[in-house]
Amino acid sequence: MQEYRFLDFLTTNIAADQAVLNHLLNQCKRKSYKKGSFLIFSGDICEYIFFIEKGLLRQYSIDNKGKEHILQFAPEGWLLNDRESMSLKKGSKFNIEALEDTDVFILDQEIMDKLEQEIPNLSEFNKELLNNHIRQLQNRVNLLLSATAEERYLSFVKMYPDILLRVPQWMVASYLGITPESLSRVRKELASKNFKPNS
Amino acid sequence: MKTKNIDFIVAPNPPHFVGDGFRVHNFIPSVPKLDMQNMDPFIMMDYNSKYNFPPADKPRGVGVHPHKGFETVTIAYKGKVAHHDSSGGGGVIGEGEIQWMTAGKGVLHKEYHEEEWSKTGGEFQMVQLWVNLPKKDKSTDAKYQAVKYDQISRVELPKNGGNIEVIAGEYNGTKGAASTFSPIHMMNAKLKKGGKAEFNFPANYTTTLLLIEGSIKVNGSEEIATDHLALMARDGEHFKIEATEEAVVLVLSGEPINEPIAAHGPFVMNTRDELVKAFNDFNNGKFGELN
Repeated sequence: MQEYRFLDFLTTNIAADQAVLNHLLNQCKRKSYKKGSFLIFSGDICEYIFFIEKGLLRQYSIDNKGKEHILQFAPEGWLLNDRESMSLKKGSKFNIEALEDTDVFILDQEIMDKLEQEIPNLSEFNKELLNNHIRQLQNRVNLLLSATAEERYLSFVKMYPDILLRVPQWMVASYLGITPESLSRVRKELASKNFKPNS
Repeated sequence: MKTKNIDFIVAPNPPHFVGDGFRVHNFIPSVPKLDMQNMDPFIMMDYNSKYNFPPADKPRGVGVHPHKGFETVTIAYKGKVAHHDSSGGGGVIGEGEIQWMTAGKGVLHKEYHEEEWSKTGGEFQMVQLWVNLPKKDKSTDAKYQAVKYDQISRVELPKNGGNIEVIAGEYNGTKGAASTFSPIHMMNAKLKKGGKAEFNFPANYTTTLLLIEGSIKVNGSEEIATDHLALMARDGEHFKIEATEEAVVLVLSGEPINEPIAAHGPFVMNTRDELVKAFNDFNNGKFGELN
């Protein structure tokens, strides 16, 4: 049997019988997206939770001047959705785009409701996910309000160790809320502090 | 001495682009049974089969990226590649030349079609190999070995059958210019039609042939066509090839390092912790900076 990152994720986080988790896995739709394709366009209602089995997604908005702002990246092992859009059945403010060829598992509300009945622990787990999500967002807002570009960068690479190798620098700059020039300056300053050739 | 037979022959995978300058078929590690463990010490092989690039004012290539824990070997058959790195190194790999870069403890580099070549464009063909480093050498200083055309050792084959260009290791006592951290033999066999060559490598070495041009017969029977790769079995030491039409064959044979491999993207280490550290070092500027 093929090993799925998603099954690993479920096994680690939900105290339930393996057979039940396998059943859960089988209930989810699976879909592959080519690099550059969209899972959600802004204005769509985001009715799904995506688990990224393989690949990389970004969730971003476009402002009135046409500038993109990246809310988050979601590499393999992450969950991504738009809680506001999903719970209020409101058009999302964000696009979700595949930055690499990406495979996802898709959970919709119907599956979630059904599963909550089958797996009593699931609502507990869902609550935990929500708490994590809020914590992340709080940290992110706080960094955007108060941290220097270098502090934001260091916190970013801690959370996403390999994203810098997978996306262009302007996207990282967009996530950090700084210009690509500032990001380049931050990286140069770090290099001048830390680079010791042939020592 | 026992005969070394072909284990299997594979056709090239569908090509993909690395950056916008290299249209490659990956053999190692994506082809089943050509994984890093089985092909040890050869952990990656991208083959840019002959491809015609139109003229371009801005050279095509791959932007700045890091490497750590292994060596990259670039063999240019057609076209020219320019490269630069974060420790100030750089150069041009011309047709028929080889560049052996030891990434060691970490380097940032970029590689592009050479500027003048890019302006006219033309046929481009090359191989990029990654050769693993033993654990004790993974943190060695980064360095380059450029093997220029006139530095390549050539061994003439009998009956005017062509020659063997030795890059590393040796062929019949003639040594190649490139030094290696673990025992590796690397050479191009350039055979005229009907030309023959014999090889002897220890049975346990990982041995593989890539057909750059033409076609050959191995041990008098199985034929390998252009752009195909043959993995040799570990069942003997000796094999012979004969060109059924004028041929260029990249011959690789290396002693397996037999150490754990933890690889992610451009870093190849021994453990997961070392990989995490590699990413941290890269993110914190320890590989330097290159624009």
